[in-house]
Amino acid sequence: MLGLALLLGGGPFARAIDRLQLSIGGLTHPAFELHDIELGFAAGGSPPRLRIGRLRVGASAWRDILLACPQASLARDGVACLAGTLHVGGRRLPLQVDFTFDPVSAHLRVDLRLPSGASLSLVHDGERRFDARLNQVSIDELAMLASLFDAGPADALRRYGASGRIDARLVWGPPSPGGRDVVRFEGRLSDAGFSSEDGLHAGEQLAVSFDASATATTSGWNWQLRAAWEQGGAYLHPFYLQAGPVLQAQGQVGAEQIRIETASLTMEGVQQLALSASLWRGGLVLDRLAVSLASGDLAVLGPRWLAPLLAPALVERLRFAGTMSAGLTMDAGVLTGLELVFDQAGVSLAGAAGDRGLAFGPVSGHVPWRANAQTQADLRIEGGHWEALSLGAFDVRARLKGGQVVFSPMQVPVLDGVLALEGLELTRHAEGWQGRAGVVLEPLSMQALTDAVGLPQMAGVVSASLPGVRFSHGELTLDGALVVSVFDGYLHVTGLRVSEPFGLASHLQADVEARHIDLGQLTDTFSFGSITGFADLDLKGLELVRWRPTRFDARLASSPGDYRRRISQRAVQNISALGGAGAMAALQRGLLGMFETFGYREIGLSCTLANGICDMEGIARGERADGGFRIVRGGGIPALDVIGYNRRVDWHELLGRIQRVIEDNVTPELH
Amino acid sequence: MKALTRITRWLSGLLVGGVLAFAAHAQGNLEIDTPAIAALKASMQQRHAQLAPMYASGAVGLAVDGTVALRDASVVPLAQRSGLNALVAAENADRAALYREIARANQRPEWEADVRRTFAQRWIDRAQAGWWVQRGGAWVKK
Repeated sequence: MLGLALLLGGGPFARAIDRLQLSIGGLTHPAFELHDIELGFAAGGSPPRLRIGRLRVGASAWRDILLACPQASLARDGVACLAGTLHVGGRRLPLQVDFTFDPVSAHLRVDLRLPSGASLSLVHDGERRFDARLNQVSIDELAMLASLFDAGPADALRRYGASGRIDARLVWGPPSPGGRDVVRFEGRLSDAGFSSEDGLHAGEQLAVSFDASATATTSGWNWQLRAAWEQGGAYLHPFYLQAGPVLQAQGQVGAEQIRIETASLTMEGVQQLALSASLWRGGLVLDRLAVSLASGDLAVLGPRWLAPLLAPALVERLRFAGTMSAGLTMDAGVLTGLELVFDQAGVSLAGAAGDRGLAFGPVSGHVPWRANAQTQADLRIEGGHWEALSLGAFDVRARLKGGQVVFSPMQVPVLDGVLALEGLELTRHAEGWQGRAGVVLEPLSMQALTDAVGLPQMAGVVSASLPGVRFSHGELTLDGALVVSVFDGYLHVTGLRVSEPFGLASHLQADVEARHIDLGQLTDTFSFGSITGFADLDLKGLELVRWRPTRFDARLASSPGDYRRRISQRAVQNISALGGAGAMAALQRGLLGMFETFGYREIGLSCTLANGICDMEGIARGERADGGFRIVRGGGIPALDVIGYNRRVDWHELLGRIQRVIEDNVTPELH
Repeated sequence: MKALTRITRWLSGLLVGGVLAFAAHAQGNLEIDTPAIAALKASMQQRHAQLAPMYASGAVGLAVDGTVALRDASVVPLAQRSGLNALVAAENADRAALYREIARANQRPEWEADVRRTFAQRWIDRAQAGWWVQRGGAWVKK
């Protein structure tokens, strides 16, 4: 709509005209409105001035826009202004304006030239077509111009230190007279960068090309977009991303919602990533979302996306393999469904101290989850290992309901035994996952176990019945007993608690009761000399930190009963060496060399370990007047006592001695 | 250059060790020589060689809660920021385990928060000039 009035100022008609004022009522377009436009020519050398009383672009409005034109012309086909200067609200903008305007056709052309050489040109055909071009406009310049419209985006651009240049073209108007409006916006952002103050969101040397178009409908717009990230890198905490992804999307903008009908993202490591979504226009709040990922390569997605998000501290130690597909749905901004499909997937966590660690895979199967329905997950795990313990193939079937996972009975092969889990349940709480299960370890041979962990080979079996295994706050409590039948006797382990089993500060607590251990087999296994007989051991309050003992109260004593009791010369020497210097009465030393074996009545040794010190005692009531304590009380012929004098022994030193005796097989020195 | 690196590493080791020893002393008769504490100390000392330049550049600061925090990642090249985040996360995991472990080694798990507070203060007190530390909720350069 255009109103036009000519106002000629001055005195009587006969006098020369000293002022000419052209009033143009207004100019309206769906994208903008201009009102109270006045063009004034004054005599006396002052440049012609264009004043726009009110300008509205979108939701923004300005008053008092003044354009002064040093070179202006007023001809039949319109007004023209060259090298004009622009003031908005009294402030001069650093740009030069050229414009031509035909008041009859309302054809308007405005060219803005910035000091950098960048330019913007705006053409309005007087009807409904609007054409804007940006040529090498920097983000700074754009921010300056944007700040005229809205301080918000301009402030955000400055806060993020945004830089770069844009070449773009926006065309708005119906392709044919009477047609619906079509907007097309295409261009390229180059040499771009940004950085938040803390550097956690930043991009450098970015280049992005885009091509978007929208067609007006009766209720809004239909739109489509293609954007290609061509150059540069970005860190969007905690992810580091590089150029390559290409986004293609289409949807609608309605009165209340923005809909993304389909969007697909092409990127490395993913065969296809597609999504659809709807957002509420007020505040861009997510309403519905559906994402599907097809054939994601875990070797790429794992280190790039999964590890930084789920376990940043373990990024260096986690390895992924295989493929994963996934689906996710959200309604009213809340997660309603998640679907994961694994194909030959594998994950491994290297040990904290460079050891073998933990691994599972290949894993194949399907894990669906719905917020409001029960689902069934099925996985086939082909194998795995925890340190030296290798696991065989097993199946996992579980019912998933909300924050609860109930597993069907599971049989996990461990070496040559089977770990059977019954009633395994995991529940998600505010403070993390909690779980419980009944665990039975069906006999596992000591031979396989000792081979696996690199101990001297032992005969016997390990079995366990742990009906009340609970997991909470990273701690595993095992009610029940682990039974190891070994050396003709057995070890009964109760009160097991394990925390942080895979960390640097792993902890284990237990009470161990060993009965009727054949010392012959034991000493033979560990090349400790030879002791014939049986012993019982009580190990109360055992605490292992990083699988090494830090605290216990141990008591070893000969088993009751009638059996042959002999000890070899070498075993005597070794026991003496463990007790430190002066473990034998001088008189007996001569005797030692004369016989291969000796009779004994009993053996007894206790050690209370705390703070790195082992407080030792010998046989009950075996104290001697000279302060020594008997470890071996001789009996029969020939007989000799082994006596300890050093009650407080440094645990590390003791371990060192045991290790030397066992591993190096050296003959300890006797004093 | 090599010698300088070695000296820096040695000084860093001394610093970590010094803070560990001092903090333990300040808490009373804290027994800090469990295998876990030794392993955590070794792990932290090894990492310190990588973290020290990050403290010096201001990329990482010593937070008031006994952790280390990404303060200004922009001083690190873009491609290395993921690695820096992993480094900080791993250090904080070790620190949390250390505080828990010291309390536990004393048979007083409830001391964990006190141990953490004491350590936080010691790390900050012992920070080198030029490092960034958190005081009264704000980052300040020592």
